[in-house]
Amino acid sequence: MYVTVRRWTVRAGLAIAVAMALLSITAGPAKRRMALSALVLLVIPAGLTGAALWRSGVQASVLRADPEAILSDPALRSVALTNGEHVFAQHCASCHGATGKGDRTLGASDLTDGETLYGIGSVAQIEDIARYGIRAGNKHGWNLAVMPAYARKVPDAAEALPPQSPAQIEDLTQYILAFTNRATDAAAVRRGLAAYTKAGCWDCHGRDLGGDPAIGAPNLTDSVWLYGGRPEDIRRTLERGRAGTSPAFARVLTAAELRNVAVYTASLAHRRQDRT
Amino acid sequence: MTEQDPSQAHRATATWDIHQPVARRSLLLAALAALIGLCIAGYGLFTAQGTRTAVVPAEDAALVNTVPILRADLIAQITALYNVPFAQTSPAQRQKVLDDMIREELYVQRGIEMGLSNDDIDVRQALVQATEGQIAQDAMTSKPSEDELRAWYTNHAARYASEGLVTLHEWRVPSTMDPHGAVAKLRGGASPASLGLTTTGRVDDGEEFAFAAEQHLGSAIFAIARTLQNGAVSDPIAMPDGIHIVQMVRNTRPVPTPYAAARDQVLADFLADKVARLQAGNQRFLKKRADIKIAADLR
Repeated sequence: MYVTVRRWTVRAGLAIAVAMALLSITAGPAKRRMALSALVLLVIPAGLTGAALWRSGVQASVLRADPEAILSDPALRSVALTNGEHVFAQHCASCHGATGKGDRTLGASDLTDGETLYGIGSVAQIEDIARYGIRAGNKHGWNLAVMPAYARKVPDAAEALPPQSPAQIEDLTQYILAFTNRATDAAAVRRGLAAYTKAGCWDCHGRDLGGDPAIGAPNLTDSVWLYGGRPEDIRRTLERGRAGTSPAFARVLTAAELRNVAVYTASLAHRRQDRT
Repeated sequence: MTEQDPSQAHRATATWDIHQPVARRSLLLAALAALIGLCIAGYGLFTAQGTRTAVVPAEDAALVNTVPILRADLIAQITALYNVPFAQTSPAQRQKVLDDMIREELYVQRGIEMGLSNDDIDVRQALVQATEGQIAQDAMTSKPSEDELRAWYTNHAARYASEGLVTLHEWRVPSTMDPHGAVAKLRGGASPASLGLTTTGRVDDGEEFAFAAEQHLGSAIFAIARTLQNGAVSDPIAMPDGIHIVQMVRNTRPVPTPYAAARDQVLADFLADKVARLQAGNQRFLKKRADIKIAADLR
């Protein structure tokens, strides 16, 4: 409704402009000046205002729409992506990179691969992350679990878990590597299964190491590694733990900016999927 | 048809002749500008954040006494409750969740009216945590520069060193044996078994992290053990249960982690420190501006 009204406002402005232009061509000098003055004073600002209203109307429609339907609607998609790209560059690119490819040294995820750590990567979920963050101090955010540091006296402040010895950590590393056919020590893999159970890894990553997107526990059986998948990376993760964060922009960005950047971020993965 | 009065036509033409100063035109333009200004001001007044009075803003699902219920929160609640995409939920399902959210908001507002934020322990704790969390959120939305992170890493390098590793034995000396003699023979290469030494059983699992060895040995013996080089044997250590000797097989000191490998941890620690400083500053500010009176006997 809003979009239609504002679209007609723009069309009416353009019609008046054309009428004034015709009048200025056909009328005498005095009326021509009058028409030109009116054109400058009224029609152009009105046209610009109409255009701005039209864009804000589309933006309102972006906010009112089902978030998952925006990318398939050309008008909504265009406005959301144009505005979202700017927000992404300003607030997200410093960690996720200008192209959204991520940064393993920070644990900033690759947003283009279609793999998601939290949820299923829907626009609504991305918007929630942008608004409330991950371990960012907002109770609405994703704060449920961290990767324990098993080479510490107290691996996890929130849950009583036993520290692991260097040998157990090596066994765990081999056990995890086995799921991507990279283990080099069969005996260590067998011992690793026991360590995996004893250390409580299964509680988050599952018995099948498939992970749990409800708490951000990654799948350990695929080729996607947030902090790198080399044996030394896995060992380091087991020893020192991980607790990546994503800021909560609820008080920094407007609702429109949050929706736009969520749509833009979702589109990064869609583009990749489209290509493949 | 009647002909137009030439003087009237001239006046109308002159009004819009920009080469001539005309008071009437100035008044008209001023009035027009005022009208446009009023329209813009009116639009801004009724649509700006904080002045939600006339319509429900596009980002909101409802306003409850001008307090918004976000569409995004509604969608999250609906999809969490019914476990299907938002598009597949029925209007009745959406209405139910919205009604529940409105009910919650009404009760929250009523609770504040009744002063529950002062009385209820859970509410008070939640408010404290939320206020602290707000400071953390503000601190985390600005990413520190690479130079700041590197400087932090340099100043706190020890935090990013690996955990030390030790492989060692702890022997108990029989009461009939001269402990100094046993130490000398061990240092000379004699096997513990040939000397009749028995293990205490506390560090027999091979290589372990330094913190684990400390836990197993106790801080007094560990303080001696950590100074031993590879292959070294300690002097006799008197303990309540007899004389102990520590034999270090391998003592691997903590190794600094390169900046690139510790970058995620450096960022987390940097931000945690920033949050702690901001929270401390906030506490000072709140105390400073507050009127706190303490009973004389408790000062």
